[in-house]
Amino acid sequence: MTLTPPPFDPELAAVLAASGHTSIATGITPETIAAQRELLLDGVASVAELSRDGVFTIAEHTAPGPAGAPDISLLVARPRTAVGPRPVLYHTHGGGLIMGNNRFGLEPVLDLAEQLNLVVVSVAYRLAPEHPFPAGLEDAYAGLLWTARKAASISADPERIVLVGGSAGGNLAAALALLARDRREVEVIGQLLMYPMLDDRNDSISARQMTGLGVWDSVSNRTAWDAVLGTARDGEVSPYAVPARAADLTGLPPAFLDAGSAETFRDEVVGYAQRLWAAGGNAELHVWPGAYHGFDTFAPQAAISQHAMMARGQWLARLLGE
Amino acid sequence: MQSLAARIAALDPSAEAAMQVIAYFDELTQRHAGLEPVVRGAATLTGVAARLVDPVRRVRMRVTADGRRQDSDAPPEPTWLSAPVFADQPATIWLETQPRGSLIDDLVLQRAALTAGVVLTLVRGQQPTTRVGIECALTETVLDPHATVDNRLTAARQLGLAPDASARVFALPRGGATIAPPDRAVPAEGRVGVGPATPVLRLPESAARARTALRFTAEGTEHDPGPRVVHAEELGGLELLAQALGPDTPRPPDLDTLLRASAEAPWMLATLTVFAEAASLRGAASRLFIHHSTLQQRIEHAERVLGWPLREPAGQLRLALALAMRLLARPEV
Repeated sequence: MTLTPPPFDPELAAVLAASGHTSIATGITPETIAAQRELLLDGVASVAELSRDGVFTIAEHTAPGPAGAPDISLLVARPRTAVGPRPVLYHTHGGGLIMGNNRFGLEPVLDLAEQLNLVVVSVAYRLAPEHPFPAGLEDAYAGLLWTARKAASISADPERIVLVGGSAGGNLAAALALLARDRREVEVIGQLLMYPMLDDRNDSISARQMTGLGVWDSVSNRTAWDAVLGTARDGEVSPYAVPARAADLTGLPPAFLDAGSAETFRDEVVGYAQRLWAAGGNAELHVWPGAYHGFDTFAPQAAISQHAMMARGQWLARLLGE
Repeated sequence: MQSLAARIAALDPSAEAAMQVIAYFDELTQRHAGLEPVVRGAATLTGVAARLVDPVRRVRMRVTADGRRQDSDAPPEPTWLSAPVFADQPATIWLETQPRGSLIDDLVLQRAALTAGVVLTLVRGQQPTTRVGIECALTETVLDPHATVDNRLTAARQLGLAPDASARVFALPRGGATIAPPDRAVPAEGRVGVGPATPVLRLPESAARARTALRFTAEGTEHDPGPRVVHAEELGGLELLAQALGPDTPRPPDLDTLLRASAEAPWMLATLTVFAEAASLRGAASRLFIHHSTLQQRIEHAERVLGWPLREPAGQLRLALALAMRLLARPEV
């Protein structure tokens, strides 16, 4: 039976049409990863642009990497007007765990930080396939530890760290929430998971509906998971690599999850939210109708993108009590 | 990710940018987008705020360059770039910029106008495009003191009024208004406030005064006696009273007294209204179809209840003012 995909939102479809492509980052194979990496970084904001004419002070910090691994680099954006320590958005970037850098996808996060005067820490983690699981996650965890321990040096409040990530960054944020719960070395108070990549099984209805369509499809997703986990995997996959496979979702901090109705991750995001509730957790879920993956970064002006960003900001404001 | 506008601006105003603009609006049309996405497209593709104004369908929207809906009461500047949505109706798409020699601006305006036309026709339906609907909308524009001079003159022309013509406004209940040549007869039914004849560009003033006149009209029944038609020019100083008193202002004591008296006797309001208008007691009695001695008794009774004399000039003025205040204090018609 062929599956009919949900229609794209008109404004999002128009932006896609104007891009001159029928779809974006679909059909990625191991052979095309290198080319996609370059495409993805084309147009990523420079450090100067990130400062937003002085709204943020941007600094690069180096932190010890995981045991036996190289140091990691953290980009820290501090609001210039903040006087005392402010809550932290700990950002893990997207790009399928195989692409991107710690400036990629940072703009919507800086929007949130600007609204609420928050510190942003964005971690550069090692990418697959050169560095398969758990390299990237352990880098991100090392950066999180540094953020909590060195909070004073960046005017941050170590008791109010919120994990933020879009797409593969959402995977890492969800995994960091699990690690933080289990290792008990650092405390996080929330996880903001924007259209997160949560499940390597890649066989949901939405994954099948959206193959070859929109942004980031099941083919690209398969390539990415193979790069992270290796091709010869079976049921014995670490829940820290694949949060959707975690048997125990109790004791996690409040979560915000969203997804587009017209993207491959829709069903795994909805499923994860349901399991968080089933585990007695606190989660807020939005499915934006007709939205493709990463819609708010491709078409920030679209009405649906504005609503999504507003919803995230309001959740964050409630979480932080501000 | 750069905004689309920035990406397009970075390109030559070349075929590629033009293709992007065309693809953008074509996609909106194919996906049955609403009006706001069209206006937002115009704004985000050019990097300036855009507006759609359609007086026929009462659409007035504005979207800023970063895509936010932010309507404005201020009229569009006549020097901004604009394009008509239809050949024969006043709907217009605006870009909030002076002409700046951008081919993309022109192309965006043209495609946005085309797309808005499709959406307006499909979504907002046929009903407002009837002749009556268009006339209502044109009238509204001519009478809108905030509309630009150009828009008002254009709308007037479409109503058949030359820029140097003079006309008057008939204000009708429920906010209705008709623009008429100075010599046209007042509508034969219903309550009508008649504004003074003025040049076309001063018709908003005629309309305002006609609406004031309408407040002095009445149903002409026992419970609401008074004239069906009132001319603003005949109100004199009562026009000033209308500014001071309305349904929401506190009632002056004489009005309270009048309303109390009216509640007491069903004939009171109608009798006093006719008595105040008539030149003589006898004339008033015949208009009321009662004997003049009956009227005499009613007036004496009224003087006791009201507490002031009605058969001398000062008391008559006081009565006329109290009756006028009753008209003004009623809820808006």
